[in-house]
Amino acid sequence: MKLTKMFKQAAIVTAIGASVLLTGCNNANTVAEAPATINGMKAGGHEYILTVTRPNELHIVDTETNKLIRTCDVPGVFGNGGIAMSPDGRIAYVMTNKWEDVYGFDITNCDIKFSVKQSYDNVQVKSITSMAVSADGKELYTVQNPVRKLPDRFETMEPRLAVFNTNDGLNAKPVRTFPVDRRITKIGAMHNGEVILGGGDLKAIDPQNGKTRMIKALQNWDRAPDKWVPPDAFAMHSLGEHVGEFIMPYFTIRWNGAPGDESKADFLWGHVRIDMKTGEVESIEKVPFEFIVFNWITDPHDKDVMYGSFNQLSKHNVKTGETINVQAMDHTYYNINMANDGKTLYIGGTSSDISVHRSDTLEKIGSIQLTGDMSTSDLRLARLK
Amino acid sequence: MKHLKSFNKKAKMLDQATSQGEVEEVVAMQSVVGCTSVNDPGWEVDPFGGLGSLCQPMESDLYGCADACWWPAQVPDTMSSHPDWSQDVAKANEDWRKIDSIFPED
Repeated sequence: MKLTKMFKQAAIVTAIGASVLLTGCNNANTVAEAPATINGMKAGGHEYILTVTRPNELHIVDTETNKLIRTCDVPGVFGNGGIAMSPDGRIAYVMTNKWEDVYGFDITNCDIKFSVKQSYDNVQVKSITSMAVSADGKELYTVQNPVRKLPDRFETMEPRLAVFNTNDGLNAKPVRTFPVDRRITKIGAMHNGEVILGGGDLKAIDPQNGKTRMIKALQNWDRAPDKWVPPDAFAMHSLGEHVGEFIMPYFTIRWNGAPGDESKADFLWGHVRIDMKTGEVESIEKVPFEFIVFNWITDPHDKDVMYGSFNQLSKHNVKTGETINVQAMDHTYYNINMANDGKTLYIGGTSSDISVHRSDTLEKIGSIQLTGDMSTSDLRLARLK
Repeated sequence: MKHLKSFNKKAKMLDQATSQGEVEEVVAMQSVVGCTSVNDPGWEVDPFGGLGSLCQPMESDLYGCADACWWPAQVPDTMSSHPDWSQDVAKANEDWRKIDSIFPED
């Protein structure tokens, strides 16, 4: 990682030097708007969409041109293709090799700067999409699900949060571990240092001492059982990194008559939305359960407006429950993300194409063809500083 | 559970938990992914009783179900048992004819 820093510093010095030179020749305002580049990639906050496909490749798409600009070979067998970005948008941590190993790629040149092999001895360790990077970029978190493979049986061990120093480079080992609940999938690192654990309930863990607290009870919520059905969450994929959020959608039923009387019931989408900077939590159920979405993503210009994708791309007001627009899709897509300008939606996962849409009309405006199927991969936004 | 007979060890444990009123320990489909925690037989109909909200076409969903062990009975489990299955078929939509079946090994 020291090498990475050197490259980065050298790039910054080069960029500053170039700016100084240009300032001498051109209008200063023009220079201030010109983004720096790192290894030929626009930086200075330029945004890229990242995903992983079979056979096992990390792809980087420029959101300005919607063109695939770089593909990096990922070691090991594909799976699951999860991606967690460093805060500077330069290192993409990729989950690979049957949900076991993590490799950290410098997205500007495909160099591998970090790696973790989680399995050891006769213990098989898998992380079910759970991977996050701390807000300062110094630590990587995974939730490990270990199984000891004995000659006559498998021993299911306790799941744990594993903390890695991102500066430890290749073959990093956990520097701390703490027990966590089972069935944790989607995790995220808040600015206060806590890690959100998305599972049956939403909890936060302090990765310094393992102390946990409840953020939002879902499976164990305390609403009257004759009025509400406990939520069913599908906690994978999109997080809301474009606006600094963590979103977990869920499905529930409100019994307006007798429990089980579907004729009087409301079938509803709900979500828990956490502001990663302030820790503010929103939980609301308004959107009618009229079709499936795998994830919500927030419009950067209006927090009440969200987009969802699956067999349709849909646009909703989550405060009023209004379905604003629906657009049929060419096939099923698991994943959705958007650039921070709020104009363009990227729909991915499943097959080998990212579908590009206008956010105002949901009209399809492009298709980015990739080398293989995305399957369960993430579709992440990287803002290269 | 009166009309269902438990067939294997896990099913018997589920049956036992139900009879002892410990059903809350057996909660399915609550933010779970992975072979040990999913018991999804594969949806013949969608949550609305139709087909419109099933994944379409199935080739788009095939690897998503295999890689996450979502359909452990219908699709080879690439997470643990058959990691190399279909690894040489990058696009299921285009090359589905090249995808092989899995047979028991001797």
